[in-house]
Amino acid sequence: MEPEDNITRRRALLAGGGTIAFGGAVAYFASRSESDEQEYVPDTFHTSEKTTGFGVELAGRPIVGEPSAPVDVYYWTDYLCPFCKRFETETLPDVGRDYVDAGEARVITLSYPNIGEYSTPSAVWGRCVWEQVADNDPAAFWRWHGAAFDAQSESGHDWADEETFTSITEQTESVSVADVDACRQERGDAIRESIDTDAATAQSAGIRGTPGFVLYNRESDAAGKIVGAQPYDNFADALDRIREA
Amino acid sequence: MTGTDTPAHRAWLRDLRDAFVYPLTSNGRLLTTGIATGVTYVVLVLSTFPQFSVQVLTRDPTDLAYAVTALTREVYLGTGWLGIGLVAAYALLTGVAVTNAVALVRRARRTGASTLAGIVPGLLAAGCASCGAGVLGALGFVGAMAVLPFEGNLLRIGGIALLAIFLGRAGDPRTCSIDPT
Repeated sequence: MEPEDNITRRRALLAGGGTIAFGGAVAYFASRSESDEQEYVPDTFHTSEKTTGFGVELAGRPIVGEPSAPVDVYYWTDYLCPFCKRFETETLPDVGRDYVDAGEARVITLSYPNIGEYSTPSAVWGRCVWEQVADNDPAAFWRWHGAAFDAQSESGHDWADEETFTSITEQTESVSVADVDACRQERGDAIRESIDTDAATAQSAGIRGTPGFVLYNRESDAAGKIVGAQPYDNFADALDRIREA
Repeated sequence: MTGTDTPAHRAWLRDLRDAFVYPLTSNGRLLTTGIATGVTYVVLVLSTFPQFSVQVLTRDPTDLAYAVTALTREVYLGTGWLGIGLVAAYALLTGVAVTNAVALVRRARRTGASTLAGIVPGLLAAGCASCGAGVLGALGFVGAMAVLPFEGNLLRIGGIALLAIFLGRAGDPRTCSIDPT
């Protein structure tokens, strides 16, 4: 037994090793990028001018899935939000395959700019891209949407600017930068107003960060809330419960 | 304090070193430091997105590792190496501070309440400075970290500075510090 109150070499080594292991573990999990990155492009899309029973305005918002799907998934997002990217690449492809493509749910993409200065302008880009392609090639919006999340950089929000979003738009097939720019100039104010409406709905639903979700059974009026990029099982459980509610 | 090499400054640095060395003086103290460091890190990281953390953990407490690793990545992506480094450093300093505070509280019980009254404000101030952003999030300020100066890093540096001042003031908790005159 070593004498109490002495600094032994063994303890000093243990403390040093422990500190290095702690720092190493933090660095490992901080730098580990999402391993099974997938991109989801839905099978079906539609548009609607209605306001849902939950109070979400659908006009101008991208909707994926069948109009008759019993469950609405309101998905509040921000193109500058890394946690939203995690949801898009890790969870959405499975939710899309098992629930949206199967006709069980439809996903309504709503804006909740909250991360950086370019959060609102990026949301306006998204809405204008959807306006251009919603009727003829709605899948183009999802290719654009995926490319916008892919553009997120490892450090900070400086990547998000006019140049980056112009380049993403130029590279997306079936989307005309000139048309999107015209929409941003002419309809910018109206779109920003509707983005404010989305954010206000999120706040009244108690969503305190992105990605945020409300699952809503349109027939029974039952609703549930999910916040953050939770594992697929959590989403599947919540969707099953709301569908049965 | 007029210069950087005043006797008071030197005494503070010596006391800070003594405070860091104290956890190495027994296995129990080292273990306390390790556990306090780990717990502080988990609490700090989870408090960056409280609503998510509460939902994940109430559904299945075994998802703690998922929540901590996911939010570690988010803190890094949101605030860079500086942000995540400051959180880790703050956790480590808190581990040392808690171990030393336990010793101070034990001594204060024997010698009177004056020392205890001296350390509690230090711990509270440092704790509030560091997790303030998390508390803001819990209160419903979406994007609280983003609107804070340097995305919350200034707040974290403030918390670390307060903890360092506290540790340097208290020194080795087994000894009474006498301010140089």
